[in-house]
Amino acid sequence: MSPIKHKAIRMIKDKIFLFVVGALTLLAILPLFHIIISIVLKGMPIIMERGLTFITGTLSEGGIGPAIVGTLMLTFLATLIGLPLAFLAGAYAYEFPNSFIGRATKMLLQIMLEFPTILVGTFVMGILVVPMGTFSALAGALALALILTPYVAVYTEEAMAEVPKIYKEGGYALGCTRAQVIFKVVTKMAKKGILTGILIGMAKVAGETAPLLFTAGGLYEVYPTNPLEPVGAIPLLIYTLVQSPSIEDHQMAWGAALVMLIIFLAIFVPIRYALKDDIKL
Amino acid sequence: MDLKKMLKKVDEFKIITLPAIFIVFILFVLILGFYFFNALPAIERYGIDLFITNVWQAAEEASKEVYGLAAPIWGSIYTATIAVLIALPLSLAYAIFVNDYAPKKLKYPLIVISDIMAGLPTIIYGIWGAFILVPLLRDHVMKFLYEHFSFIPLFNYPPLSGYCYLSAGILLGIMVTPFAAAIIREAYAMIPSVYKEGLVALGATRYETTKVLIKYIRPAIISGLILAFGRALGETVAVSLVIGNSFNLTYKLFAPGYTISSLIANQLGNAVLYEYMTSVLYAAGLVLFVIGLVINIIGIYYLKRWREHVSH
Repeated sequence: MSPIKHKAIRMIKDKIFLFVVGALTLLAILPLFHIIISIVLKGMPIIMERGLTFITGTLSEGGIGPAIVGTLMLTFLATLIGLPLAFLAGAYAYEFPNSFIGRATKMLLQIMLEFPTILVGTFVMGILVVPMGTFSALAGALALALILTPYVAVYTEEAMAEVPKIYKEGGYALGCTRAQVIFKVVTKMAKKGILTGILIGMAKVAGETAPLLFTAGGLYEVYPTNPLEPVGAIPLLIYTLVQSPSIEDHQMAWGAALVMLIIFLAIFVPIRYALKDDIKL
Repeated sequence: MDLKKMLKKVDEFKIITLPAIFIVFILFVLILGFYFFNALPAIERYGIDLFITNVWQAAEEASKEVYGLAAPIWGSIYTATIAVLIALPLSLAYAIFVNDYAPKKLKYPLIVISDIMAGLPTIIYGIWGAFILVPLLRDHVMKFLYEHFSFIPLFNYPPLSGYCYLSAGILLGIMVTPFAAAIIREAYAMIPSVYKEGLVALGATRYETTKVLIKYIRPAIISGLILAFGRALGETVAVSLVIGNSFNLTYKLFAPGYTISSLIANQLGNAVLYEYMTSVLYAAGLVLFVIGLVINIIGIYYLKRWREHVSH
């Protein structure tokens, strides 16, 4: 084979490769656009038709009001339970990265991050729902808190690790104790990263369904008031409605999915753009 | 005076944080113990048959109850494998494209899109999968393959409803691709630029350069795929809406099936009516727990080793 022909073949291979890589990348992100367009197309008519009732009404009035409030309540309670635990565990893993407990903590947090969420739900059902004899917002929130904790902890640890060591040394040089240096100096410097972690964790648990299946119970006819009673959530409601054979329920599900998609994108996209500098290219 | 001195020696930081660490550890042990003890009655009664046979006989009388979890265990592994096979080319191509070929203006939006996909609530994938993806696959892919290629055993199950292993595998593949892509992309970005410069200096084309660089980050690719496998294994609601939920132990792609997590999601609600079903479901949960734990530890270990290797 002549060298010129050989070069031509290599160039053709290069072109084919570029085309394949571009096409596969397009294929990888295409589903998101398809999902967004289908949800808007299918969810918009039902929301337009029912108007404000869809956001504020109960299920029999054709709305998802209680589910929205339920999701807010569950997310808030889960953050309340999980946040202190996550922050302290993250701070510990940051401060003692080489000690046995520190390494084990980090490993454990990473494992919990990947833990099947349905198992968290069934676990909370076993320790809380069965003894109490009733589904409750508290049980749902506890399950969500177990999912939120590793997220926030890992983000906290990473955000703190980004803080230059010199600030810590400065703190010690001024005679501060370890607690003062970490909780006052390092935490303040890492505030942005920690807050991001909290928001992403909250967005994550607000969209969870599996852990709520056997813990929250579902409540769609009245607004929730008592955390010790069953509560509904938008994802849980969608899951129930999708499994129903009735076409009307499916329409409701699409409407609820659109509401959820809007809430998710409204929280997630600004956070992601705020973090532009953190991305390695 | 003495008390003050003693107090000074005590590290407040540890006093404040250790209880939290303690709670996290206790919770983990508690979950493991909880699954183990709740699974014990079923394991004692059915022995190893519980995991290797495929039966599901729920009966009012406890003596007539027989369960075997082979089908859901197989389903979980099978669908997660399909998902990883789909995620492999997609996430690799994405990582290469974003790092090397994408115009500057496109890079950042591509990363944000992938992140949105990774964080999108799973129920949104579920509703889209159940009402849009499954009919699409059934009418345009499965029927075609069944009519023209049913001499291949994989394709010779009639695609009646479209709710099957393949649908679940594809949906899971779409869900885990951004997750694997993020890990591979970061690894790809960490390759020291001298390697690339050297290859270009030798006159390698872009294809040849990439081929060499991909070999360099192989450990990161493997760990990304292992972690994606673990994630696909644990996914519940999206899968349970598209897999068809029936006890089929087959490799045929168009057959409806079950996964461990969808089995738990569907059956635990009414399991209290039977004497052994709850325990059997916790045994299924234990299997999922153990497989997930092993898979994730391997994946995290590989990733950590890769990062240490690179940072040198």
